[in-house]
Amino acid sequence: METRRIIENVRKSGRTFLTEVESKELLAVRGIPVLSCRVARDEEETVRMAHECGFPVVLKVNSPYIIHKSEHKGVFLNLGGEQSVREAFRSIRRNCAAVDPEASVTVQPMIKKGVEVLIGVIADRQFGPVVAFGLGGVFTEVLKDVVFRMAPVSTEEAEKMVYQIRGNRLLRGYRGYPAVDTLSLLKIITGISQLAVEVEDIEEMDLNPVVVFPRGAMVLDARIKLC
Amino acid sequence: MTEDDIEVMQKIFNPGSVAVIGATASSDRIGYNLLDSLIYGGYKGKIYPVHPKLKEILGLPVYPSILDIPERVDLALIALNQRDTVDVLEHCGKLGIKGAVIVAGGFRETGDEGRALEKRLVEITKKYGLKVVGPNTLGIMNLEAGLNATFYPVSLKKGNVSLISQSGGIGFSIIQKCSDEGVGLNKFVGVGNRTVLEISDCLEFLAGDSGTKVIGVFLEGVENARRLVQVAGKVAHRKPVVIYKVGQSNEINEATLTHTGSMAGPYKLFRDIFNQYGVLLAGSVPELVASCKALSLCRLPAGGGLGLFTYTAGPTIVALDRLAGRKISIPGLAPGTVRRIKAILGENLPVVLKNPIDTGGLGTRPGTYGLLVDAALADHNFDLLVTFCCPHKNWPNPTRELIAAHQKSHKPVLTCYISTVKGVEEDREALQQAGIPLYCSPDEAAWGAAALIHYSRRGGALHGNA
Repeated sequence: METRRIIENVRKSGRTFLTEVESKELLAVRGIPVLSCRVARDEEETVRMAHECGFPVVLKVNSPYIIHKSEHKGVFLNLGGEQSVREAFRSIRRNCAAVDPEASVTVQPMIKKGVEVLIGVIADRQFGPVVAFGLGGVFTEVLKDVVFRMAPVSTEEAEKMVYQIRGNRLLRGYRGYPAVDTLSLLKIITGISQLAVEVEDIEEMDLNPVVVFPRGAMVLDARIKLC
Repeated sequence: MTEDDIEVMQKIFNPGSVAVIGATASSDRIGYNLLDSLIYGGYKGKIYPVHPKLKEILGLPVYPSILDIPERVDLALIALNQRDTVDVLEHCGKLGIKGAVIVAGGFRETGDEGRALEKRLVEITKKYGLKVVGPNTLGIMNLEAGLNATFYPVSLKKGNVSLISQSGGIGFSIIQKCSDEGVGLNKFVGVGNRTVLEISDCLEFLAGDSGTKVIGVFLEGVENARRLVQVAGKVAHRKPVVIYKVGQSNEINEATLTHTGSMAGPYKLFRDIFNQYGVLLAGSVPELVASCKALSLCRLPAGGGLGLFTYTAGPTIVALDRLAGRKISIPGLAPGTVRRIKAILGENLPVVLKNPIDTGGLGTRPGTYGLLVDAALADHNFDLLVTFCCPHKNWPNPTRELIAAHQKSHKPVLTCYISTVKGVEEDREALQQAGIPLYCSPDEAAWGAAALIHYSRRGGALHGNA
């Protein structure tokens, strides 16, 4: 199974954390829509990939040693041209040099605005696999607006999760913003909950942010920790 | 649990004979009090006290060893130290005794030796097909069979609420509160270390127990919460289950590395997941008892529309506070109800008629009270009604009016008499006999109503059962 192969590769290198690239690869083989990203090892390669993917782009540090990329100032959003990409690449290298001087970067297109949510998994000691849903992005830590269910969850239960969070109005449309595509969101939640039950190696998983649009939804960043 | 397991548990709760191993003559010892509880509780079966030297305790002949008892007993209550307990359990097994309650502590909670003893205990139970309550427990009760197999001699009211408690102390707190509230008990299990019989086993047993209408659970924590919630959810489809779980301080796991992990405080997880399975949670002993009381006495409402009726505003505001955040609908009055109330009290009322219905001073007159409650109960927006009053030395309580109104309606009625617990004893007896729970605080009345509404939403299965 493809999922197994990805996990075994990570284990072989003695790690329990999957990088963003590996996490997204694992999600993609499970049919979860992810914003795929390409890895660039130096400044020229980064610039070339940025051109290929089309501006504006996002650069993020890519290192097996760095889990919280923002905390290491390893994320640069909305880079509009070649010059800003070069500067961002050098900044990332500088900021992350202490942890991983060899760190590469990922290049991915800057995605248009939608509502950012979090979908997560924890392997709870008492309940077993548990799936989480809440407001994502910068709100995650500030508002802690998250609800939990024992996995697996049905589409109906996933819908209850979406309506249970305090910020659910953001998803239903507000102040001229359109309502988002709840069905696509529910598909990701149920898919992740199934993954959590089937792959017992997963100890924790964060898909954050998952951006939900009026049509469709997509995982922009992900991290997975194995037991 | 298999059918055989259920049968063993039925025998544990309905034993034809009980042995008290470690019975003594001194009233400060557990062994004496187990015996005293059996006698004081009115147990009608045979009681065999066991002690190597004594001849008679509390007027009963004593047997030197369990091997000397002339018949095979159904239940062994063991009040020995942990080491002797395990030895005696082996004897019980050999004799074909299937049920035991083990009071002693000193097992896995004390370290390696205790763990080894507990392991031996489990091996013995497996070898002989024995079911054990405990160790480290207050014991069990079955008021239907007049069985008090705890070391607390008490006299309790018989009823249809059964309790499972992970703590003896809080178990007793719940039992005493039930006594104050006039809530009749059916069975009690102090699960102790849950070495053999788990909380989920007890839930499965009580689900099929005809004397139990409502199950209240006090929970500290279990290793296999996944099975517990699945069983509780299944049982809650057959009869109401109310769980009070301690450990609400949401201490977070600092070691966790993802956001999801750091936000999953243990109580938040527990609450969301038990809600997922439709089990009603209570936040305190009074809330647990108030919920069990309503579910014990009332039929389940057809829907969730709650009406409140009072002549003093404060208690209804407190009640609404308690209901806040529970998605409970407080519908307005139907126009017909407004007309009906005005026809009783007059057109020019000094109050605005809405829900809660506050009649002010006009509502206290005995002649009109019953008519007003009739009108409120007839409102098609309401599926259940809570009434509030403040008993007074010179004004009669509306007990008779409430009972009469309730008899004419199929809707549940709950009432709050702002009073001391003792001050309304007669009213409580009369009202609860008629299926109207009486509470002494608006908070408790609100919790009772919320419990009924919670289980009304579970749909048809429960209605058939109630």
